[in-house]
Amino acid sequence: MPADIDPSSAAASTDASAPSHLLQPASSVTSQSDFQSPSPPISQPTSQSTPPPNTAAESTHGVKLVFRGTAREYFPIWIVNLCLSLVTLGIYSAWAKVRRKRYFYSHTTLDDTPFQYLGKPVPILKGRIIAVAFFAIYWTTTNFFLSTLPWVLLAAAILAPWVVVRAAAFNARYSAFRNMTFDFNGSYWSALKVIYGWAVLMILTLGIGFSWWQQRIKRYMVTHYSFGGEAGEFTATGGQFFFTYFLAGLVMIGAGVVGGGLGFAILATQSRYGIWVGVVVIYAAYLLVFAMIRARLGNTIWNHTRLGAVGFRSTLGVRKLAWIYFTNALGLVASLGLLTPWAVIRTLKYRTENLEVLLQGDLSQFAGGGRTAVAATGAEMGEIFDLDLSL
Amino acid sequence: MNTLAMLTTTSVQVLYFAGQTPQGEAATLIWSERTAKLIGRRTDAQYAWSQLRVSPRVGSADRFIALPDGGQLQCADHALLDRLPQESRTEGVVAWLERQWGVALVSVALLVAGLVGGYFYGLPAAAEYIAPRVPMNYEQYLGEQSLTMLDNQALFRPTKLPAPMRQRILDDFHRLRADLPSASRLHLEFREATPAIGANAFALPGGTIVLTDQMALLTQSPEEVSAILAHEIGHVELRHTLRHVLQGSVAALVAATLTGDASGVGLVVTGLPVLLVQASYSRDFERQADDFAFDLLKRRGYSPAVFANVMERLERKRDDKTRKSTAQEQGAQSNPLSFLSSHPVTKERIARARAAAGVTSGN
Repeated sequence: MPADIDPSSAAASTDASAPSHLLQPASSVTSQSDFQSPSPPISQPTSQSTPPPNTAAESTHGVKLVFRGTAREYFPIWIVNLCLSLVTLGIYSAWAKVRRKRYFYSHTTLDDTPFQYLGKPVPILKGRIIAVAFFAIYWTTTNFFLSTLPWVLLAAAILAPWVVVRAAAFNARYSAFRNMTFDFNGSYWSALKVIYGWAVLMILTLGIGFSWWQQRIKRYMVTHYSFGGEAGEFTATGGQFFFTYFLAGLVMIGAGVVGGGLGFAILATQSRYGIWVGVVVIYAAYLLVFAMIRARLGNTIWNHTRLGAVGFRSTLGVRKLAWIYFTNALGLVASLGLLTPWAVIRTLKYRTENLEVLLQGDLSQFAGGGRTAVAATGAEMGEIFDLDLSL
Repeated sequence: MNTLAMLTTTSVQVLYFAGQTPQGEAATLIWSERTAKLIGRRTDAQYAWSQLRVSPRVGSADRFIALPDGGQLQCADHALLDRLPQESRTEGVVAWLERQWGVALVSVALLVAGLVGGYFYGLPAAAEYIAPRVPMNYEQYLGEQSLTMLDNQALFRPTKLPAPMRQRILDDFHRLRADLPSASRLHLEFREATPAIGANAFALPGGTIVLTDQMALLTQSPEEVSAILAHEIGHVELRHTLRHVLQGSVAALVAATLTGDASGVGLVVTGLPVLLVQASYSRDFERQADDFAFDLLKRRGYSPAVFANVMERLERKRDDKTRKSTAQEQGAQSNPLSFLSSHPVTKERIARARAAAGVTSGN
């Protein structure tokens, strides 16, 4: 197993000197960045032309993602962002977003190299203004001009595929790893076909087709992502999605029966506090179901995604994730929100560190291409309307 | 790293990414007066300082130096990097702010003060200022729409009250609104409601007030109908619909900004603040409408105590419906969900009505 996540190397990179692997003699480091560094690195062959003898081309190396963010470090970033955003009536929020994204990206490392967020505040601000304008139209309609709501919804439906595609493209093209940006090349029409074509199927099957609809959308998203000229492959089936939703449905029905029954029983005999019992049981079930869908679907999606010679292994646990969500909720309520950085960081850390990158051969097959600019409007609309269909 | 060490540092270990493949090359960046030399096994290049762009400091993460030829260097954070041209000046300032714990503490204090002040004073005052300045037309249009919608959804049916009774209530209504600024907009509609709505009255935007048959039949005197109507007139006169929409949406917007980070990790609890704040504003409006009603009733020569009477009867009727148990007898104040309620606790409203009437509750 590689030495990339051993604690000493992580500790060394936090002091003012270079990360430990950078301090080794140059001759021993050539294959460090190829994810193929069996420990100890010093035992690596010194010649660059000879591949390491213990690394057969077909063998698979797993490298875990490491998240180095801490709540202590993120807290001031979060609070300064909030304060400046409120003081500037939201204008600063575009800069805040860059700052936040930068923090998360640059503290997520793979083989000791951080990811990089390249989004710029001004395009994000423009996108946000347009998104807010659209939201204002929607808000005014629902509040004051209900009769025109169908038209607004129709316009939104026509716009939705565009938002999805643009948001994915913005996020991909302004995310980089090792000086190479990701890419997303889905088009409006192809997205429209997937989203509405399969939605018809979902309606015809009275909702049972939801899993297959979602699977097609995920497949569409994954296969249109690319890195270094290699497009994503996606092999998860709708049946796998369905199984997770089926389990989630069972839990929810069970909780509804138990919580509702218990609540009414107490309500009828003792006091109004029966309401609380019902609320607590249903909330607990909701938490479990949410964690279940997040963990199981996350695992299904990542474990069936490939990017060229790179595969993934996701090992999220339902109970662990539910526990994190539950303690987050407790902490947020008890601290009146001041523990937000703590909740965000620990969730992100758990999710990141349960993702492993599996590499066959080396990374030389990925070839960098040119960068293309893309407006942030779609990404901001997607964010404000919660239209996140990305990975 | 102390100053002396910084000055004596002349080279930095870096990883060089040309941008063609995701493979890095270990290299050394050697500093001199105005240039930097990049020495790797396959690389030997020299750049002027002014050609380099350094990514902002963020936490303790490694930083990047963009090269003019599209290449990129990754290196550990280093004080020396601050002396190079920066990719973003503003972020440099912010990054400095983030490192001062005093700033963080002041920020927390400012945030709390701002939120508390905005919630108790700023937002209600702003809405109160704006509401009378917004033209009435759209609100009337909205009110008509709401009534049509309620009628169409079969929540309301045509009234079954006898015509003389309706005429009597209308006469009282006209007497109540007589000299009010909103008199010309105020308009009364009768409807029979579904059992789910039951005895109730609504002030729709624009000045239409709907009285359900059940409510009319619950009252035992013209004064009691007037008390109910006076409360609804209060909502219209004080522009509560508009103020509620204004305050509610600004509160939602601020809450969304504040909880945005935690939205994916907190589940439901991040929506809680908006719910609580909106419910609390709604209760404030009910109290204001009550006060308005007490005042109006007194001016028309009625005692606000009639409001208390009708509220008591309403409460009894609702409790009969929900089959009260002994624990509940202690009163609605023990309702565990009262903090989520859109209306103040009925007992409190009754007490306030009696206080306004100058009558102490005898029982």
